[in-house]
Amino acid sequence: MNKELEHQFVTELENNQNIVHKVCSLYTNNRDAHNDLFQEITIQLWKAYPKFRGDSKFSTWMYRVALNTAITLYRKSKKRVRTQDYDAVIFKIKADEYDDTQERQLKLMYNAIRQLGDIEKALVFLYLEDKNYTEIAETLGITEVNARVKMNRVKNKLRTILNP
Amino acid sequence: MMDELELLKKDWQKQGEQLPKLSYEEIYKMIWKKSSSLVKWIFYICIAEFLFWIIISVLPINSGEIGGKGADFVKVTDWILQVVFFLVIIYFAYQFYQNYRKISVTDSARDLMKKIIRTRKTVMQYVWFNVGLFAFTMIIVLLEVLVFDPPQELMERISTADSTLLAWLLVGIFFAISIAFFGLLFWLFYRLIYGILLKRLNDNYRELKRLEV
Repeated sequence: MNKELEHQFVTELENNQNIVHKVCSLYTNNRDAHNDLFQEITIQLWKAYPKFRGDSKFSTWMYRVALNTAITLYRKSKKRVRTQDYDAVIFKIKADEYDDTQERQLKLMYNAIRQLGDIEKALVFLYLEDKNYTEIAETLGITEVNARVKMNRVKNKLRTILNP
Repeated sequence: MMDELELLKKDWQKQGEQLPKLSYEEIYKMIWKKSSSLVKWIFYICIAEFLFWIIISVLPINSGEIGGKGADFVKVTDWILQVVFFLVIIYFAYQFYQNYRKISVTDSARDLMKKIIRTRKTVMQYVWFNVGLFAFTMIIVLLEVLVFDPPQELMERISTADSTLLAWLLVGIFFAISIAFFGLLFWLFYRLIYGILLKRLNDNYRELKRLEV
C-alpha cells in the first residue's frame, strides 16, 4: 500500500516537475540553492500527499505547496559559496528564436522580476502560468479584487524597473 | 508593457526543454531526506525554550542558605509559585501543540503565515510569563533578605550614612538597574533568534495584510 503511494507520488511529481523547477528558478540565485529548494518542496509535497484527495488537480495542489515552501518555509542554506548567478541556465533564451530586440527585452524582464519581493514574484509566477485571478487569490489568501490591484501595481513596478 | 508581459508569458510557457529534468530515482531519493523548514526550526527552538525554563525552575538555587524567620515566607511563596508554574506550563504546552498542529503547507500563503506567527506568539507569551515569574521571584528573595535577614554590613552603612533615605534610594536603583540589565539581555537574545528566523516571514505577512486594508 505504502509502496503504491510512493510510486504514485514520485510518478506524478516526475511528470509535473517543471512547475517546481520554475518556482525554484524564481526564488533562488544559484544551482545549489535551486536543488536545495527543490528538495525541500519535494519533502513538503510528500508529507502533505496522504491528505491530497484529488478533489483538485495534482498540479493545482502543487502550486500551493511549492509557493508556500519557497515563500515561507524554506530557509536559505548557509553554503552560499557560488554567488555567480545562473539565470542563464534557466532563462536562457535561444538566440535564433527571436530577433535581438525581443531577446534583450525578455532578458530585461527576467532580471526585473528577480528584483521583486517574494509575494510579488508569486503573483507574477501565477500570472505567467496563466492562472486566473480566482486561483491567484485563493493561493495567496487574499481577495480577487486585491489580487488584481496588486498585480497592476506589480506591472507598474516592473515598468519602472525597465524604464528608470 | 502589456506586450512585453504577453511576450514573456509565451516565452515562459515554452521554457520546458531548458529546465532541469530529474529522474524517477532522483526524486524518489529526495522524499526520504530530512526537511529543514522554518516550521521545524521554530518547533525545536520552542521545545528548547520549554525545557530551559523547566530546568531553571527545578534547579535548587541557594535554598540551603535561607534560614530563620524568612524561611517560612519563602517556602510558602515558592510552593505556590511551583504549582502556578506547572499549571501554566501545561496550559502553554497544550496551546503550542494545538497551534503547531494546525500549520499546514496546503493552506493559502496568508493562512500559513498567520498560523506560524500564532504558534510563535504562544511560546513568546510563555517566555514573558517566565521572565515575569523570574523577576517576581527575585523580588521575593530581595524582600526576604531585606525584611527578615538584613545583611549586617549593609544595614550599618545605611544607618551611619548622612541620609538614610538616599542610601535606600541607591540600593533601590542598584536593583532596578540589574533587573533592567537582565531584561535587556533577554530582549536582545530574542530579537536575535526570532529576528533572523522570522524577518522574511513577517515582511511577507505584512505585505499581504497591507493589501487587505
